[in-house]
Amino acid sequence: MDHAGHPASPGATDGGPPAAPRITVREVTRSFVTNGRSAVHALGPLDLSIGDAEFLCVVGPSGCGKSTLLKIIAGLLAPSSGEVAIDVSGDHRIPIAMVFQDYGIYPWKTVRANVELGLRLSGRPPTERREIADDWLSRLGLADFADVYPGALSGGMRQRVSIARALAIDPEVLLMDEPFAALDAQLREVLQEELLTIWQARRRTVVFVTHSLEEALLLGDRVVVMSARPGRIIADITVPFERPRSSEVRTDPLFAKLRGELWTGLHSEVVAQFDAGKDRR
Amino acid sequence: MTTMLIRRPGVAELHPVRTRRRWTVTKVALGVSVPVLFVLAWQLSAVFEWVDPYLYPPPSRLGPALVTLWEEGKLVDATVTSVRRIILGYLLGAGAGVVVGFLMGMSRALRAALEPFSWAWYTVPKLALLPIFLTIFGFGDTSVVVLIAVTVYFFVWISVMSAVMAVPAGYREAALMLRANSWEMFRQVLLPAALPEIFVGLRIAAGVSVLILVGIEFVISDQGLGYLIEQGRTLLLLEQSYVGILLVALVGYLFALLVKFIGRLFIRWTDEDNAIIPS
Repeated sequence: MDHAGHPASPGATDGGPPAAPRITVREVTRSFVTNGRSAVHALGPLDLSIGDAEFLCVVGPSGCGKSTLLKIIAGLLAPSSGEVAIDVSGDHRIPIAMVFQDYGIYPWKTVRANVELGLRLSGRPPTERREIADDWLSRLGLADFADVYPGALSGGMRQRVSIARALAIDPEVLLMDEPFAALDAQLREVLQEELLTIWQARRRTVVFVTHSLEEALLLGDRVVVMSARPGRIIADITVPFERPRSSEVRTDPLFAKLRGELWTGLHSEVVAQFDAGKDRR
Repeated sequence: MTTMLIRRPGVAELHPVRTRRRWTVTKVALGVSVPVLFVLAWQLSAVFEWVDPYLYPPPSRLGPALVTLWEEGKLVDATVTSVRRIILGYLLGAGAGVVVGFLMGMSRALRAALEPFSWAWYTVPKLALLPIFLTIFGFGDTSVVVLIAVTVYFFVWISVMSAVMAVPAGYREAALMLRANSWEMFRQVLLPAALPEIFVGLRIAAGVSVLILVGIEFVISDQGLGYLIEQGRTLLLLEQSYVGILLVALVGYLFALLVKFIGRLFIRWTDEDNAIIPS
C-alpha cells in the first residue's frame, strides 16, 4: 500500500475513518475564468478524507460547488489548486462510476444497451454483459423495459437506468450527483430504499451529493455540510444510526434532532447564497 | 496491486489566462501552417521536377501572372463580377429557403403538399436548368444569379425545415402555456432554437454557391472567375487558371467565414464548441 506518502492533511475533518482513506481531498480550490478575465472563486479551499466503503453525503446550498467537487473527484474537471488522491485497486478498467443529475443515458441505445455500455467498454463478452445488465435491470424494476428506448420512459425510470449502468460495472467508487433531485417525493423514497439495500449488500465507497438533509441522514455514514460559494466544509457529522438501516430511521427522534442541527448550520448559508444572487442584479 | 489516481491542477488551471492566450496563438499558427506547407510542397514538386512545371505551374510563377492580370484589370473585373453574382444569388436563395423552410417546418399541411415535389427538384442538378434560365432571363448576370439562388434555396430549405421540426416538444409546450400564437412561437422559440442548425446549413450553402457559380461561368463563359479559369485552360495560360482557382478558394473561404461570423453574432447562448474528448 502506498498511503504512506499521502498522510491526511492537518485540515482534514475529524470523525473520518481511522483506516487509510479511499479518497483524500487536500486544499482543493476551483475558480472559473469567464470572458478571459474575471475569475469566479467557486470552491474551497477544502480538505476531506473519505474512508473505504464509506457512504459520504455532501449537502449545501445550490451553487456552493458540490457538483464541482464531485467533478473534480471524478476527474472531469481539474482543481485550480490542491490535489485529490483516489486509491483504486488497479485491476478495474473503470474504477469510478458516476450517476449524473440529468441521467446522461443515451437516447439512441435501448435500456439494456445503456446498462451494458460500461461492460462493453471494459471488454466483457456479450453473454456475460447481458447477464449482468439483465440482473441489474430486474433489481431496479426495469426488466420489462430492457428493449425499450429511454425516450419512452419516465424520469424516474431513466434515472434507474443510469444507476443500473453505474452499478453494472461494480465500481470501487460511486459518485452520485443529486441523482434523485428530479424525481417526485414518493419515487424518491422508493429509490432511496433501493439504493440503501443495494449498498448494504455490497459496500462500496460512495460520494453522494444532495440537497436533501433527510436523504443525507438516511443514506450516509457521514454528512458534510458545505458553505455558500466559495464552498467550504462547515460541518462534518457521523450519522449514528445502525446498519442495516431502512427508511424507518426517519421516525427516530434523533433523526429529527440531527436534521434540525444540520439545518441550523445550513440555513444562514442558504440565505447568504440567495442574497448574493439578489445583489448581483 | 494498488494504484493512486491523482487529480491535480493542469497547466490550464495553474495559468488560465496564459493558456488561453497561448491557445489563440497556436490555433492561428496551425491554421496558417497547413496552407503554407501545401504551397511549399507544391513549389518543391516543381523545383525537383517531380511533375512537369509547364503543365503544373508552381506558386513562384503565379505571382507574375497575378500582376499581369491585375494590370490588365481582368483580376478585379472577374472577382467583382463573381462576388456580386454570389452575394445576390445567395441572398435571394437563402432568404427564400429560410422563409419556406420555416413555413414548411411549422405546417404539417404545407409539408405534406410540398415535400415530395421539392425533394424531387432538389435532386435535379441545377446546371441542367441553365438553358431554360438563359431562355427566360437572357445571357448574363440575371441567369447566373437566379441559378445560384435556386441551388442555394434547396440547401437552406432542407436545413431550416429539419431544424424547425427538431425543436423539442418541451420548448413548444412551455410557449403554448404562455399562450403564444404562431408568430410568437416562431419569434420567441422556433427561430432561436433552430438558429444553430440553420447556420450550419447557411455555411454549407455558402460553399455550394461558389461551386455552382464556377460551374455556370465555365459553361456560359462570359465573365467572372470561372471564366478566367476556363479561358486560361483554352488559351494554355495555365498560370491564369491557377490564379483563378486560388481566388475562388479564397472567396469561398472568406464567404463561409463571414456567414459563420454573422451566426456567432446572433447565437450568443452556446459555446463555439463543447468538444470533450478522451485525452
